[in-house]
Amino acid sequence: MDLDKALGIAAAGMDAQTARLRVIAENLANQDSTGSTPGADPYRRKTVTFQNSMDQEIGTEAVQVKQIGRDGSDFPLRYDPSNPAANADGYVKLPNVNSLVEVMDMREAERSYNANLSVMQAARSMLTRTIDLLK
Amino acid sequence: MDPTQIGVFELAERRLAWVDRRQAVLAQNIANANTPQYQPHDLQPFAAALGTASVIAPVRTQPNHMEGTADASSQADIVERPSAHAPDGNAVALDQQLVKVADTETTHALVTAIYKKYLGMFAMALGSSSSG
Repeated sequence: MDLDKALGIAAAGMDAQTARLRVIAENLANQDSTGSTPGADPYRRKTVTFQNSMDQEIGTEAVQVKQIGRDGSDFPLRYDPSNPAANADGYVKLPNVNSLVEVMDMREAERSYNANLSVMQAARSMLTRTIDLLK
Repeated sequence: MDPTQIGVFELAERRLAWVDRRQAVLAQNIANANTPQYQPHDLQPFAAALGTASVIAPVRTQPNHMEGTADASSQADIVERPSAHAPDGNAVALDQQLVKVADTETTHALVTAIYKKYLGMFAMALGSSSSG
């Protein structure tokens, strides 16, 4: 029945957005994680991508996390000779996490999650009404 | 009397099937609201779907030909003409999709109400006390 599929697809969408929120939380938590040896690389920002994929269980196309990748952009440098991760010139590599970008991403994940939740509520109330026909 | 021969029941059944299917399609659109390059889908309007109720499906005429696996009902899908694209090529507008979800839900409520009323009329005619 298609309404069951709708429920399954919305659940898959919520799952994907949850994974995204987890990655955002990792990035935000590590936005100050520098290396511990001189010149070491700090935490590298993670990215998450989605793809439209066939879900065998519900027999229709849903969504899933394609991969959790790494942001290859350059690390910003800060002059801090006393830091254990400072290189010979006294510069420390900082994580390439921009908290503004992460917070924006978080808002978007929240909005998409809510949209999936609305679909689930709609499908559920439709199912209930159909069952009510039998009463 | 066969209840499936009554116009209202058959029409309501078809409409319910259409509404069911549309909700699944919209759920797919919304679940893929952040998938790069994803294009939203929709069904043909119900009036058009009713007109082409008998979808022409391929039939196997040779035993050594491969059988088609495509669901005949999936041919009713149309790709929406998107009003805007995100930079990643995604064309799902969440607000538009949610409006459609609400619309589909309202239609479903209407059809189930009509169906129930009609059943209630039968119950009344048969004199049963459990009329809805």
